[in-house]
Amino acid sequence: MNLKLKSPVSTSLAIGVGIVVLLGYFFGGDPSGEATTLGLVRAFLLQGAIVWAAVAMLVGIFNLASVHLAKIRSNEEALYSFILLFTLITTLGIGLYDIVETFTQQEINFTRTTWVFNYIQLPIETSLMAVLAISLTYAAARLLARRLNLISVVFMGVVLMLLIGAVPQVAAQATILAEIRQWILRVPTIAGARGILLGIALGTIATGVRILTGSDRPYTG
Amino acid sequence: MTISGLIGLAFIIAFSGLIILFTAAKRQQPESGLRKIPAFSKLRRAIGLAVEAGSRLHLSIGRGNLTGPESAVAFVGLSALEGMIRSASMGDNPPVATTGDPSLAILTRDTLSSTYRDIGNIEHYDPTTGQLAGFTPFSYAAGTLPIIQDEKTTAHILLGHFGIEVALITDAGERGGDLTLTGTDNLPAQAILYATSEEPLIGEEVYASGAYLNAGQMHIASLRAQDIFRWVLIVVIILGVLLKLMGIDQIITDIFGGLL
Repeated sequence: MNLKLKSPVSTSLAIGVGIVVLLGYFFGGDPSGEATTLGLVRAFLLQGAIVWAAVAMLVGIFNLASVHLAKIRSNEEALYSFILLFTLITTLGIGLYDIVETFTQQEINFTRTTWVFNYIQLPIETSLMAVLAISLTYAAARLLARRLNLISVVFMGVVLMLLIGAVPQVAAQATILAEIRQWILRVPTIAGARGILLGIALGTIATGVRILTGSDRPYTG
Repeated sequence: MTISGLIGLAFIIAFSGLIILFTAAKRQQPESGLRKIPAFSKLRRAIGLAVEAGSRLHLSIGRGNLTGPESAVAFVGLSALEGMIRSASMGDNPPVATTGDPSLAILTRDTLSSTYRDIGNIEHYDPTTGQLAGFTPFSYAAGTLPIIQDEKTTAHILLGHFGIEVALITDAGERGGDLTLTGTDNLPAQAILYATSEEPLIGEEVYASGAYLNAGQMHIASLRAQDIFRWVLIVVIILGVLLKLMGIDQIITDIFGGLL
């Protein structure tokens, strides 16, 4: 086995916690549904992981800021980085102001933060969603030009059939098309999805086993 | 302790046993025998080209949460990152990695620094090559676009958990004429990637990345174990269908139903 035991303490800790969580998953509850000791330990460890993930958010903000600060210093796409940092600091300021006001007035008031999300972030992300629709149409049109094979032809044919069959007027007029659409969604789509998901589940187990045995070690410690 | 818990544990133990067995057997008999996946051949070529031409490789590890099931595919991305740095660290422009999850960003930087240290090339490590591109799906895609549009970057490897926003990233890569190799665990994103990416990895192919990028013997062994268990599942499914057709599935459900 390719064991990397350069940091034995962190490796042993990670493997130990991983095994406890795994055992807690299988034996975390007795047949009556009550949590066993193993189940309680697992819940405690997972709650700790969730708290650490929240702390990581702060680290992430510093990471984002430091990368863009470096870009401004090197004059590489400095304008975009400046806009990003400016909006980050402004949003952070607005959020802090709302928090302070909530504490001083003893009343939950996040109207300014909500305004930023509802009237700036949401419309921008909705616009990106619209761009996505165009991108997908363009990609679908280019698919056959780029990769002309049987699978691509079937893929495009099924996509077109499902899209046309989803139009209510068409479905009302051509009931056979609606039935074919329903059959595609009910039988081959679910069968294919289950097949892919089984493969993904096996891959996930394999990755988990490699981490539990210390072969894959995405941390240094 | 329930029967289903015991079956689950037995499955994991059998899986681990097979991986360890194949790892040990492989040491005595060195042959690879992996089936050819064109995406990985192209990736190896792209890595070689990046070192020769001084161009940059970009790896996106997605926005999978470490506490959720999507973390597995993120770990695959981290293994691929390690493999890429080992192969391409000597180039003029070392690989750059982007993520959409803060905890994953920490692990990305950790992987970058530890790999550079491992290969004795820590002076080439630039902390800004591990970037958190954004916190929400679309801000992550938008934050990744400047790296995609960078003329120095010639190949984009997307291995991780993505949603439909991944189309924005692959579309930008395709427009730039760059290689886009993609793999994810998310089914809708897989369908989108099939249409938008030059080299999509379908289903569990993404989990084979480590084996094809020389991430270690255990990756090849786990691939073989997956193949065996895939056949076991196929046999179980066919058996289930036959039992259903013969009408005796209810009897078996009645026998085992109380135990599970």
